[in-house]
Amino acid sequence: MKKKDHYGYLFILPFFIVFGIFSIYPILLTFYYSFTNYSGMGVPEVIGLANYTRLLTDSYFLQAFFNTWYIWGVNFFFQMLIALGLAILFSDIRMKMKGLGFFRAVLYLPNLITIASVALLFGILLGWHHGTLNHLLMDLGIISQPINWLNDPTTAKWSVALIGAWMWFGHTFIVLMAGISGISKDYYEAALIDGANRWKTLFHITLPLLKPIMLYIMITSLIGGLQIFELPMLLTDGMGAPQGSLNTMVLYMYNQAFKFNNYGYAAAVAYGLFLITLIFSFATFKAMYRKSMD
Amino acid sequence: MKKKLLILITAVMTFSLLAACSNSSSSKKADLTVWSFTDELQEPINVFKEENGVTVDLTIIPIEDYPTRLRPVLESGQGAPDVFTGELAFIKDWVEQDYWEDLSQEPYNVQEWEDDYVPYVFDLGKDSEGKIKAVSWQTTPGGIFYRRSIAKEVLGTDDPAEIGERMSSMDGLFEVGEELKSAGYRLFPDEGAVRWFAQGQDPQPWVNENNELVLTEGRINYFDYAKELRDKDLTAFAPEWSPAWFAAMDEPINYNAGWEEVDEESSDQTEVFAYALPTWGLHSVLKTNTEETVGDWAVTNGPNPYFWGGTWLGIYKGSENKDLAWKFVQMMTHDEEFLTDWATETGDVLSYLPVTEKIKGEFEEPFLGGQNNYTFFLEEAANINPGTVTRYDQQIDGFFGSMVGEYVEGTKTKEEAIEEFYRLVKNAYPDIKTPE
Repeated sequence: MKKKDHYGYLFILPFFIVFGIFSIYPILLTFYYSFTNYSGMGVPEVIGLANYTRLLTDSYFLQAFFNTWYIWGVNFFFQMLIALGLAILFSDIRMKMKGLGFFRAVLYLPNLITIASVALLFGILLGWHHGTLNHLLMDLGIISQPINWLNDPTTAKWSVALIGAWMWFGHTFIVLMAGISGISKDYYEAALIDGANRWKTLFHITLPLLKPIMLYIMITSLIGGLQIFELPMLLTDGMGAPQGSLNTMVLYMYNQAFKFNNYGYAAAVAYGLFLITLIFSFATFKAMYRKSMD
Repeated sequence: MKKKLLILITAVMTFSLLAACSNSSSSKKADLTVWSFTDELQEPINVFKEENGVTVDLTIIPIEDYPTRLRPVLESGQGAPDVFTGELAFIKDWVEQDYWEDLSQEPYNVQEWEDDYVPYVFDLGKDSEGKIKAVSWQTTPGGIFYRRSIAKEVLGTDDPAEIGERMSSMDGLFEVGEELKSAGYRLFPDEGAVRWFAQGQDPQPWVNENNELVLTEGRINYFDYAKELRDKDLTAFAPEWSPAWFAAMDEPINYNAGWEEVDEESSDQTEVFAYALPTWGLHSVLKTNTEETVGDWAVTNGPNPYFWGGTWLGIYKGSENKDLAWKFVQMMTHDEEFLTDWATETGDVLSYLPVTEKIKGEFEEPFLGGQNNYTFFLEEAANINPGTVTRYDQQIDGFFGSMVGEYVEGTKTKEEAIEEFYRLVKNAYPDIKTPE
């Protein structure tokens, strides 16, 4: 019998040491803090499940939960719509799109700009009396009085969602393109010979075979979307104005920890967020996976 | 043998990985490290470097992230600066912590300086036991900075005393606002500018000694003043710190493209008459954002005195360079020669009275058309009550401001806004007692 060698473990040990110190330890420490009233200074005092019972009845957290889903939902719908449309258009074998590399780069660009710059840019575009968009719409005669985009709960949420969609559709588009190019050309050629039109190929070949890719995009987007933070933080007052409509779960956690110094409660919010992400990722995966198996 | 070698390699790899994470800052350590939230210390540090032949490393962190970045290094002591500044918004919190060296002890004995400083500035650097943790070179009373040319055209004079007289009550302020409006100007950039004058009517801390939230009548009046400013259309809709807010200091801003709701007759541009700003607003806000209007400004009083902001300076308790750090703190706050130069160059209003006494007589600020703003601000500083500062101010002011905003917008009635304000405070600080 061949002697088993354990040296391999030594080689992977550095990763696990670093991972343990910088990831596992903070995760466990946060879990401990979630049972305390730690204020960031001094010694934490264990207060049992008080933070979690508070979380369950906290109307601001509930609002943050719905805001996050609302923003992610709108964002994902438009991001997918644009990306899918473009991906189908660009990969159509009958069209033979020219300059694909150029378009891919251009469409991906918004994703490369830092969110702080994006927030500043849209802050100026969406301003009330001084914003470019309002002046433009006014000049075109579309509106007769200025719309305070970032001060109305609905338009504020839609603004954040659509900015997010604008930032991410390029990324989604590239992933979808990769997925489509993975589908064998034979199917399309066979369909072409059989006289199937574009809609038929789309609904009977492209979309069903893209399902695993779309599932992947959906779950990664969901995990990212549930953590939306920077845009709502930077676009208005950082507290979720107007009327708390931009208060997302991570923003709420951030404010509880770093603005109000309720580290213990913020740790509980973090674990609540983790649980929610876990449940919904799992549910999404289950639902989509079962359907594609049928 | 082979085994030992492998263990050695692994150990080296592990340590180099860990070292990469922690070692980057200590490799080129300066003689003194300073952390602050503005670049105002850059010039003094240059002077200090030259005088002492040392290297000083200044790290500037934006004020929003400043407490968040500073707290971990102070708690752990890893990579902590030798000297760090505190802002009014968190000074109350920080003097109670064990981060700053106690300056009332040997060899500092800062309490001996006390009589030479503006009282409130010195008091805010003390903890509840009277230990002095931080000192400041400046005092930050506020006033109303206004445009002389507009004043002359509309009000017939640009004399700060006369204009101050007219704006010494809220009614007077609104009257001036109406006159400006009919001439095509706007009194303030936004409604927030009156918050100081509302709160200052009966100044009290947000949270009293019984840990109860205090909503004074003056604060409630802020709702009405803000609403009146909006309804009478006396502002330019340029929110504080927005690009339009800064732009209006130097030029007419696009404001109304003929929107019915506003006023169809008025032109699409307007100029802003005045900004409510404290001392530091002159050199770090107005001067840095103007070219055209330099020399066209003056400062005067509003309906009541107020103060806003301020930078305190202290030595980190665990610092290894306390001697040099102390030297720097001394230069910043107690060096007559340096402070005289500093004040005359920047116009920063000092809290160190021997110097202010010396320079206030013939002080002239070219930016303010040669006005002696020094005497004005020192008089305002004498009326400041430091007892109103609490460690909650920044957040609670934020909550209150956004609720006033919702009332002005019409999304909430005054009662609803106040109720929501109580809920917000309660949510952020469960220990504070709010009225039921």
